[in-house]
Amino acid sequence: MLPFFLYFVASLITGFHVCMLLALSAHGAPSNPLELVSLLGSLCLLIAAYVSLFKPYAAARLALIACLAIWSFYGPAVAKSIRPKLVVQSSVLEPR
Amino acid sequence: MILPCAATAVLVVATLYSAIVSFRQAEAGKRTWIFPESPNRSAQIVVGVLTLALLTVLAVWLTGSARNSTRPASRFFVPEGYTGWIRVEFEVQGAPSLPTEGGEYILKIPPGGVLRTSSAEQYGWARDHYFYYSVQGTRPLPDSGSAALIWGKINGEESGTTAKRKYEEFFVGTAQQFKNQEPMK
Repeated sequence: MLPFFLYFVASLITGFHVCMLLALSAHGAPSNPLELVSLLGSLCLLIAAYVSLFKPYAAARLALIACLAIWSFYGPAVAKSIRPKLVVQSSVLEPR
Repeated sequence: MILPCAATAVLVVATLYSAIVSFRQAEAGKRTWIFPESPNRSAQIVVGVLTLALLTVLAVWLTGSARNSTRPASRFFVPEGYTGWIRVEFEVQGAPSLPTEGGEYILKIPPGGVLRTSSAEQYGWARDHYFYYSVQGTRPLPDSGSAALIWGKINGEESGTTAKRKYEEFFVGTAQQFKNQEPMK
């Protein structure tokens, strides 16, 4: 049951997060096409959770593909949010 | 901030777990917690039925909320050659209401760039349209793509001396002009 709960929780949290971001575009926020890819990945992860009850190894492969699809949005987003902090830290470390 | 962090953390775990299970096999005869085994038949049926029920409820709820989250589209008419911020103030007493045409609101922006209306602001999904207008007629204003001339659309609410004021703002101009400008005061 571990894979079921893991895939299920991951798909719900990532799907809900991306849905919230997409909802903001109704109020004028810019939207990213990768958000839709990520949402599709969350849906695939949900399917993988269901499949894991019957074929756990096939579900793991499907879940891996789904996770990579979700990372297509989260990867650049995480990198972009981390980079400014690294720039600030490196400027602090520069010799005077 | 909690939600993005939780989403990233659980995604990392799910990716690692699915990668390990996809590319490695459990040693014969050894049982470890990490390699999955199919649950027994009754557990499969119970969890499967509950999942399908949950997904059905979720789909019905999403369909219902998506239907309720649409609004009539708006057609913005901006004076030809105008560059800068446009502001539409809603629920202004004594101001004219917004006319409609073909189910869409018509917002004709005066040369000063500020339109006041007694109509209420509409929220939800819609595809708005933008045009330049002049005595010669109208022409479309691109709001997406490399030649976009519409930027920074925001909705807001501010407290005035008499009441709260709802407004919508967006910038008309090139991407470079948008980067170089100051927000509307």
